[in-house]
Formats: sequence, structure tokens, C-alpha cells
Amino acid sequence: MSPDLQERAPAGAARHLGPARAEGRPALTLRSAEFRKGRESAWRRLDDMVGRIEGRGFDSLSAEEVQELPLLYRAAMSSLSVARNILLDRNLLLYLENLCLRAYLAVYGPRLGLGRTFLRFLSHDFPRAVRALRPHLLAVTVALLAGTLAGYLLVHSDPHYFSLIVPESLAGSRGPESSAEDLIRTELFAPWPGFVETFVIFANSLFRHNTLVGLLSFGLGFALGLPTVLLVAYNGLIMGAFLALHAELGLAVDFLGWLSIHGVTEILAVLLCGAAGLRVAEKIIFPGDLPRLDSLALYGRRAASVAAGAVILFFIAGFLEGGFRPLISQTAGRYAVALVTAAAWLFYFTRLGREADHGAER
Amino acid sequence: MALSADRVGALLEGVQRRRRVLLSPEGVPLEIQVAGHGERLGALALDLVFMLGAVVILFLLLIFYLFAGVGGSVGRTLFLFLAFVIRVLYFAHFELAWQGRTPGKKICGLRVINRQGGDLTPSAVIARNLTREVEVFLPLTLFLSLGAGENGWQDWALFGWLLMIASLPLWNRDHLRAGDLIGGTQVIAMPRRVLLADLSREEAGRFTFTPEQLALYGAFELQVLEEFLRRPPGPETDRLLDEVSRKIRRKIGWSGPVETREARRFLTEFYSAERADLERGQLFGKFRADKKEAADRRPGKKN
Repeated sequence: MSPDLQERAPAGAARHLGPARAEGRPALTLRSAEFRKGRESAWRRLDDMVGRIEGRGFDSLSAEEVQELPLLYRAAMSSLSVARNILLDRNLLLYLENLCLRAYLAVYGPRLGLGRTFLRFLSHDFPRAVRALRPHLLAVTVALLAGTLAGYLLVHSDPHYFSLIVPESLAGSRGPESSAEDLIRTELFAPWPGFVETFVIFANSLFRHNTLVGLLSFGLGFALGLPTVLLVAYNGLIMGAFLALHAELGLAVDFLGWLSIHGVTEILAVLLCGAAGLRVAEKIIFPGDLPRLDSLALYGRRAASVAAGAVILFFIAGFLEGGFRPLISQTAGRYAVALVTAAAWLFYFTRLGREADHGAER
Repeated sequence: MALSADRVGALLEGVQRRRRVLLSPEGVPLEIQVAGHGERLGALALDLVFMLGAVVILFLLLIFYLFAGVGGSVGRTLFLFLAFVIRVLYFAHFELAWQGRTPGKKICGLRVINRQGGDLTPSAVIARNLTREVEVFLPLTLFLSLGAGENGWQDWALFGWLLMIASLPLWNRDHLRAGDLIGGTQVIAMPRRVLLADLSREEAGRFTFTPEQLALYGAFELQVLEEFLRRPPGPETDRLLDEVSRKIRRKIGWSGPVETREARRFLTEFYSAERADLERGQLFGKFRADKKEAADRRPGKKN
């Protein structure tokens, strides 16, 4: 154990230089040198351990070392406090400052591995964080529905709005000129192109695209939230336009089945990202009791975990849209999948992680 | 104190760091240094290069090993998916696994910490890296496509707006970017320091100094002298030490001869004696910060 633990009885302080030194030439006695001699090996051990933690994490320490770490850490901290008052050796002082900061960050650093973190996130943190965003979810849902309604009414009143609302890349060959025949054959009930084409290629490109859009709508929350709402509403607008296009041709029921098999999951994910973005915006504009930065840090972290969780939803939605939709070519089957996923998400977000809601929250 | 160490650093290296204090749970204030803009930009550039390198290697691997067996479109999809995973997870993964450091940050001696002084939680790391999409990648892609787009002024307006968000670190004293604000994090500079041997010699030396001679200097000069003595040996350092020893001898009124090759020895012994004297003074509550303070004390001094 280091002598720092008994710092109150300084051992080397008793002897000091007398004025007679000049005549008799006694050897110097440096308190600082003795201070260093007694503690240096402990510092070096701590240095070595911290270096290993920084490189390979706590697993690189043996059981005894893990027990020793807090003792060495506290000893070094106490050395630092003393050193600041008595030491004049610049190199040693800077070294101790640096060592203590590194040890502090290692001792209080992240402890859980990535896998455990992920499991805990899925079972507790994600559903809980989503429940905390209820008002924001409501707000973005309203934005989405308003957009849908507007899109529907616009295209319903004049089909030419369709090409104005829906970008060409998204519309493909679909438009006001499409016949019911075309839509059924090429879109709603297109023939299944095969496993690889659907589950691997199409699902993937959808996932990548949707995730980037989702993260964008979260990130834009930092720009005070207005772009987030607009982005969500614009998604609704496109949806409404497509709905009107199909409704004109009497395909509304089939279209909704085609949309909802993945849409339940995907739209939910869009809404989650949007809600998280709104939370960030809210805490910038109305920080509440805390200073603005602290409040943003506190709530921003939880909001970001919602956006990160939404990525998982996008992944699932990608498979549903790219893979299962072409596979299930009956509208009834598609509605069934939509209902099952809706029930599953409802259960997941309302029931999981409940028990921790009353405890201390981090 | 650490502040005097700052004065030495400022004098010798011209380093003027922004410093903050973090209070550990043990109640010991720890000094941290805010990372500079240049360092962070350098780390980001390095990380982007590494990411790009990883993607290129991935591409080559897929070409050589996989394209032969599977269809081209599957290989392409696999490539795009993995490249996407690298883009989204690169920063978050390394900051979690390497205690707040990505490869670029490690090279530049930077580190992400919790601004409030607690532990760096996974959610904080994820939060600060999700916004990177808006702060880094979006302006970058937009900038690269600026000339090509047909809707000119809208692109420029969007670009300017995103640039404002991206340049946030320039406008606050802790150099926080938007992701740091949301995640409650901060990037600090933490170069690793090495403990060198103690310079002082306790055994009796050839040179003896009187208390009056030692009373001329303070802690600041002592530490500057320490830095000079720690320079790597060589003709350059020898010249410097000789010059310094001449100056000190003139100031303290040293009468005896000191040969040029003895300069290092003279200075080392002077350093030891001066340090012993200053430490003794400190023990009795008389701290001399520098030679000005020493000069102010002298007229009323008793010993």
C-alpha cells in the first residue's frame, strides 16, 4: 500500500536544511525527492494498468489488479493534491496531473461491453425513451396526417399535382396517366423476382435510404425543429398523393395493403426520428429549469437513443418491404402482416422496460 | 501549482491552452485542456481517410474473393451495405471501445469525455455521432454537388445554413459542436506524458551557494531551468546551458571559475540547491513565485 494513505504524517518533512549548510557542506535533503521515492513505483504500476485499460479495456487486468486499481487511483489522487502544494519539479507535476486525469477517466469510464449495452438498450432504454416522447410523437403524427390529407386532397382535385409533389425518382412510371392495369401489374402485384433480388438487394437499398432520411430528420431537430416537421409532413404529402392516385382507379384497398405491410414499421420509425428531433428542438428553445446546455445534454442523449433505435425499425421495415411484400401477393395476407407488426410494436413500446420506470433513471 | 507550470509552457513553447477544471468524486480538481480547432480538424480528416481506406479495402476484397462466386449485383449490395455500416458505426464503435477515442483522435492525442464529469455513456456517444450526418456528411456532399444542381440559390442557402451549424465549434469557448451539445460531451487534448528521472542531486557537490545567492530566484525560474536541463544533449544544448550559466553567475555574483564544459554540472547543482531552498521556504509558508517576488521581499528580509 502506498504511503499516501497515511499522508497526514509526512515522513520526510522533519529534516531540513540549516543555515550552517554553507560552511559544512552537508548533503542536501529534498523533501520532494523523498516524496517521489516512496511513491514512484505505485504511480508506474497505475500508469501501466491505465495504459492497458485504454488499449484493451478492463478485461486486460487480472483479478488482483482490478482490486488494486481503486487503491492505486486514490493514492495517486492524494499524491497529486500534495504535489500541487509542495512540488517544484515541473515534469513530475505535469506527469501526475496527466496520470490522474487518465486514471480518473479509466476508473469512471464505460464499463459495459457493446453486446450487453445493446441488449439492455433493447429491453429497457429504448421503449422507455420512446414513452417519454409521447407528446412529440403526437405532434409529428399530426404533421404526417396533415401532409397526407393535403396530398390526397390536392391530387384528388387535380391529378396534375401528382407530378409536382412526387419526385420523378420516386414516382417511376406511375402517374396520372397510369391505368389500373399498369399499377396492378407493375406495382401492387408485380411478379416475385426471386429471393436474392428481394431480400438482399432491394431490402438493403431501402434500408440505407430510409435510415439516412430518418437520421436527417433527427439531426435537423438541431435547426430548431421546423425542417423536421416539414420533412415528416412532406413524407405524408407523398403518401397522400399516391393514395389519391390509386383511389381514383378504385385500388385504394389494395394500395393500403401494399403500403401497410411495411409502412406500419417504417412510418413508425420516421415518426420516432421526427419526435426525437423535436425533443432536441424543444430543449433548445425551452430549456426549463436547467441551463440550456445541461438540459440539451440530458434530453438530447435520450432523444438520440430513440433515433438510434429507429434504425433497427428501418432495418426490419426494409425486409418487410423488399422481401415479404413481393412474396405475399394477396391483400388480405398483407393486412395480416401489418396487423401483427402493429400489435408487436404496440406491445413492445408500451409494456417493456416498465419495472425500471419507478427507479432511479440514468 | 499547475498554473505556474502554465507560465513555463507559455514562455518556452508559446502554448496558450484553454483550460477547464473537472472535479473528481474524490474532490480533487483535475485540469483538462480544450482541444484546439486544428487538432480536431486533423483528427476528423484522418478518420475520414481511414474510413475511405476501409471502404476501398472492402471493395478490393469483394472484387477478388466474392464476385467470382456470386452474382455481381449481390456483391454490389453487400459492398454498399458494409460501406453503410462503416459510415454509420465507425465513430460510435471506436469511441465506445477505445474510451472516447477514434483512430484519428488517438493519433492527435484527443479524447471525448463527459462534460459534467461523469462516465461517458453509450447513449452520449451515439448522440454525438448521429448528428455527424448533418454536420459533416451533408455539407460535404452538398458542397461537392454545388455547381451541378439546377436549383442554384436554394442549394447555396441550404449550404450556408448547414455551414453555420457545422461551424458551431468556432463560436463557443469549449469548442463544442452540435453533437457535443446534444450528447453532453466535450473533446479534450490529452497528450501522454512520460515521467523522467529527477534532476536534483542530494549528495554534496563541487559548488556551494549562499542563502543570499539562492534567494534571487523563484519557482518560475527554477522550472524554466529544469526545462533547459531536460533538453536532449548536444552542441546546441551545451551552448544554451553555457549561456544560461553565465547569466546566472552574473546575477548571483559568482566569483569562482566555471569552465564551459562544467556548465551542466554547475547548473544541476544550482538547480538542486535552489530547489531545496525554495522547498524549505514553502515549508515555512514563504512561497516565491518568481524573481520579481524575490526582489520585492529582499529589502525587508531578515536572514
